[in-house]
Amino acid sequence: MAVTILIPAPLRRFTNEQASVQVEAGTVGEALTKLDAQFPGIRDRICEPDGRLRRFVSVFVNGRDVRSLEGLDTPLREGDEVGIIPAMAGGR
Amino acid sequence: MIRLSRAHYEAIVAHARQEVPRECCGLLAGQGERVERVYPIANRADQAADLFAERDLMPRAGADPALLPTERYFMDPEELFRALREIEAQALQHLANYHSHPATPARPSRTDIEFAAYWPHVYHLICSLADPDRPDLRAFRIVDGQATEVPIVVEDE
Ligand SMILES: [Zn+2]
Repeated sequence: MAVTILIPAPLRRFTNEQASVQVEAGTVGEALTKLDAQFPGIRDRICEPDGRLRRFVSVFVNGRDVRSLEGLDTPLREGDEVGIIPAMAGGR
Repeated sequence: MIRLSRAHYEAIVAHARQEVPRECCGLLAGQGERVERVYPIANRADQAADLFAERDLMPRAGADPALLPTERYFMDPEELFRALREIEAQALQHLANYHSHPATPARPSRTDIEFAAYWPHVYHLICSLADPDRPDLRAFRIVDGQATEVPIVVEDE
């Protein structure tokens, strides 16, 4: 499936400032592996060494958080948009 | 420097007041240094206890997650994603994040500084309601763990 990965501003230094990248992938996890093959190192910003999604990163398929879907196993269809954003958090 | 209209300034203060005793949070978008839109985002800190605990940034050992939004903020990821997409679709820039300190001064906390590591290219605004009659809105750049205050200019139209 050809899908589009939307790269958030804080990770564009890995993608030569490209805001989106096309890959062929059947799941979200596969899309991130393909992205890392093109832009080595970017997946370490998104996933823990054991492969889990980092807690401070959210990944979306067509705007839905994959934590409410099937995580990195969430299937992708032709034309889907995969979004990534680091948490915005803080406190007093 | 960051410039915002009186109406945007009032919108941020009103959002902070409306959420008391919880922290409010949101984004500011615009062009260059001028804010053109305020995007309030829901504070879901009650669902982010693990995120704070992992970094040893929980307010107190055993804090009740339901009370976390009074001392922490975590922007709802889906709302945040939609707002960032809309900002890009309108050819605006994401200029800043804002949040409130309902009872403490408008200075970045250790928690603010740690999480700002992912967003060094935006301003971080804090609206303090420590004196409820005199809201104090301040802006900071936070780069490599160092917070530097940046002047805010409120423009009367
Ligand atoms: Zn704060």
